[in-house]
Amino acid sequence: MISIQDIRKKGQKTLVLGNHPGVVQSILDFDYACGKKEPSILACITSNRKSLKFFFGKGEVLIPCYPNVAALPKHLVGKVNWMLNVQSGRRAFDSTVAFFDAFPDAYGGHIFAENVPERHETELIKRYGGEKIIAGPSGVGILVGGYLKIGAIGGIGLAQLDQGKLATAGSVAVVSTSGGMTNELITAVAQAGKRVSFSISIGGDRFPISSLGEVLSLAEEDAATKAICYFGELGGVDEYEIVELIKAKKLTKPVIAYIAGVIDEAFDEHMQFGHAKALVAHKDESARAKRDALRAVDAIAPDTFPEFLAALRGLSTPEFHDRVVPMDELSKRKASILSTREVVDMDAVPVFVKNKKLVASETTFAQKSLEAILGREVKSDVTAAFAEAVFSLLIDHGGNVSGAVNTMITARAGKDLVSSLAAGLLTIGPRFGGAVNEAARVWIDGVASKKEAGQFVEEKTREGKLLLGIGHLKYRVGIPDPRVAAIAEFATLLKKHPHYDFAREIEKVTTAKNGNLILNVDGVMAAIFLDILAEKEGFSDTELTELVDAEFFNALFVIPRSVGFIAHFIEQKKNDEGLFRLPDELLFVRRKKQ
Amino acid sequence: MSRVKLTEYRAKKIILGDSYRGISVRVDEKGKLAPLEAKGSLMGWVAKVDQGVKKRMKQGLVAVDVDAKKVADAFAVWAKKGFSQFLLEPLFPHKSEEEQYLSLERVREGVRILHAKDGGIEIESHPEAVTNLIVAGESDIAKVAKKTGLNEKFLRDLLQKFNDNFFAFLEINPLVVRDDIAIPLDAAVLVDSAGAFFTKNWTDDDLVKGKAQHGAEEVVETLAATTPAQLSLKVLNKDGALFFLFSGGGGSIVIADEAQLQGAGDLIGNYGEYSGGPTREETHLYAREVISLCLASKAKTKALVIAGGVANFTDIAKTFAGIIDALTENAEEMRKQGIKVFVRRGGPNEKAGLELMREFLTKEELLGTIYGSDTVITKAVEDAIKFVKP
Repeated sequence: MISIQDIRKKGQKTLVLGNHPGVVQSILDFDYACGKKEPSILACITSNRKSLKFFFGKGEVLIPCYPNVAALPKHLVGKVNWMLNVQSGRRAFDSTVAFFDAFPDAYGGHIFAENVPERHETELIKRYGGEKIIAGPSGVGILVGGYLKIGAIGGIGLAQLDQGKLATAGSVAVVSTSGGMTNELITAVAQAGKRVSFSISIGGDRFPISSLGEVLSLAEEDAATKAICYFGELGGVDEYEIVELIKAKKLTKPVIAYIAGVIDEAFDEHMQFGHAKALVAHKDESARAKRDALRAVDAIAPDTFPEFLAALRGLSTPEFHDRVVPMDELSKRKASILSTREVVDMDAVPVFVKNKKLVASETTFAQKSLEAILGREVKSDVTAAFAEAVFSLLIDHGGNVSGAVNTMITARAGKDLVSSLAAGLLTIGPRFGGAVNEAARVWIDGVASKKEAGQFVEEKTREGKLLLGIGHLKYRVGIPDPRVAAIAEFATLLKKHPHYDFAREIEKVTTAKNGNLILNVDGVMAAIFLDILAEKEGFSDTELTELVDAEFFNALFVIPRSVGFIAHFIEQKKNDEGLFRLPDELLFVRRKKQ
Repeated sequence: MSRVKLTEYRAKKIILGDSYRGISVRVDEKGKLAPLEAKGSLMGWVAKVDQGVKKRMKQGLVAVDVDAKKVADAFAVWAKKGFSQFLLEPLFPHKSEEEQYLSLERVREGVRILHAKDGGIEIESHPEAVTNLIVAGESDIAKVAKKTGLNEKFLRDLLQKFNDNFFAFLEINPLVVRDDIAIPLDAAVLVDSAGAFFTKNWTDDDLVKGKAQHGAEEVVETLAATTPAQLSLKVLNKDGALFFLFSGGGGSIVIADEAQLQGAGDLIGNYGEYSGGPTREETHLYAREVISLCLASKAKTKALVIAGGVANFTDIAKTFAGIIDALTENAEEMRKQGIKVFVRRGGPNEKAGLELMREFLTKEELLGTIYGSDTVITKAVEDAIKFVKP
């Protein structure tokens, strides 16, 4: 089991299982107050989100999210030291085991859930007891003053961070089974003019993973800890463990304890209080008996809480220096919409004409557009040339296609440029122009699946799915689409082109069924572009999938085709033919019977 | 979360499986006893109250070797006493020398087994007669069988069922051991309520219901069943002078302790808590029940104590807004009765929450005293005791 002193020295990076925004934010505030340069939270394991935005100091940071521990990227895997498990009691066991299977060297963590079955607790003890520091199930977690916060411990409000002086390394260990009283005690320590060395909220469940005895041993071994402040309740026999440790001289530091529950004497029948084990089953589990036992070995165990606080004030502890937390600054912060893209650098004054001569531009409009939507500079000429080729090729395919038709009809209805363009753009979808992105998804899935093309087609068809990127109304085997051939030539500039190869393999299978099921322009663009981005621009598979998830590949059509729609709009305005009405012979109307 | 009593009927059904011939009989909502099936064939049965009552025999809640008529009579008598769940089992004739004692309890190290060859003894007063063993893993079972003389397969099956069904405690007394077979005659089981999600063998319906409760307790129980927050309420003295709105955990016990230490334990009207981040609406509904209890009490001077520790993550402003909603509904009546409100609370949004409460209580002339986390946790209850017991 790692010592408290080593926790202060070694890695303090935490992986969160589940998502509890208030608790995570409080940990980031703690990190900032402690002067850390970056958050201690590495990532959250939660579905449906890619990242969560939090404050780090006054600024904001994105904490990445992954659907399971196995999906954590390599550069994060080696960094994980701690677990914060905020999932429900139903999932706590499985997720904890999955965590330690993935990170067997992690030091421990906190299980926040109440309602974890006893059987799961004893099983976790069997696996990790004595080896990891695990606070809970239930309770509020682990705090090492000035160094580490895992859980809600010490509170989640900014004011509490300052009130409890959590960012200061102190000399009093706070140990409690009750989450609420842990914080009450941390606050009390600060108000008594002391600071907390570390605090572990053991949790009120019957079988906490790290036992009271283990936590007390941590306190005994920690040189910075000078005294122990303990809160216990009626029920259970934990306090006799303290008595035994003191008797055996394994616990030599002063212990100030408050054992709550004399109220139970006022009832006829034993009451079940808030915590799972706060029910007296045998007489020696009563608050009074446990207090007496502690006093018998010279621990300070006062009758009343005010006396307990007075004893705390009376401790002599070393000096400390508080870190100044800029509370004013922090309490005024406001969340923003995150935007890091600044496509045109407003600070650099552009030069277009110099000495009455044009200054040749280094990059084309197509390249600049591509760089803007990729969010990074293009490294390779091949990529730039591909953008130029695709954008030029896709500007327009004549007025017959549905998007152009809608633009023209809207223009003739007297509408303005933006409305008419919007009418055209809104037509883009799975059957018209919007298939590039889904085609890219098919190729990524196909390559990743390592399946043979025939089997892949078979499975997709059985699921009743269309293979986007395959098929054309006009072109077929024997009458190839000239644009496809032109784009396909880019493959010769690449060392490897797995997506393009896969697309061609699929085409072989589909054309064997029907000559029209050829690789179409959407499909070839998607495949070649995936291969170019991977080889020439260094995109990883994950990054490519992120582009697909953000519908990036459809932009390859939307950008140039906007130009085409505007061209049709301007022509219609010039001709000014008046409102369009579909000729009667083009509209088949079923007459109602007279 | 806690260990709760399973009915003997369900316990035995789980332990013995289909071979168990016991019949569960309940008084329905209208107070009518369910008709007994197969009445004619009822001869030589045992009837008992199945509500986790200890020492049933002494209290006359068991009827041995009865026929249909006597069973019906016994049930009617017990129903009049307020019991509603009964058990009928075929009588199992045996000699008292065949009776043994066996219990299993989940402990940190595994399952603790207590066994005594003589089932008739009081376990607590005869520790020397009891074998105390721990089963930490499969391999320990054979050892236990050897030491107790109990059939190994019986023990293995019993442990399997104990684990699979999230039992926390099982007491079989007496256990009749005849040659190689062991038959539980009486079985008391505590299950781990957190296991309910993981097993289909028992449900809420199989948990022992206590005798009729106070109406407010029922309302809170229903409310608690529909929220992830923790809400609980127990009426201790309906004519008490101190009524508590506790915000949970160890803090509540500290505050209640203070009342007991100051000699005001008998003035406490209720115990219970709202914790685990309840919403404003849930807090409102909960607080309403406590306030009604306070209003209904016949004590002369009464105080409502809204107190708790420094919360870790419960929002003080939000929960206080819920309490204020409930106070608003009753402010006039509370003023009429001269009830004062005493407050101590800390945590997230403490400043805003306390300000809200102070303003409201001042306006409504209900303010006793109000403190935040910079004042000791017991101060509000101290003030309240001075107020009700000058």
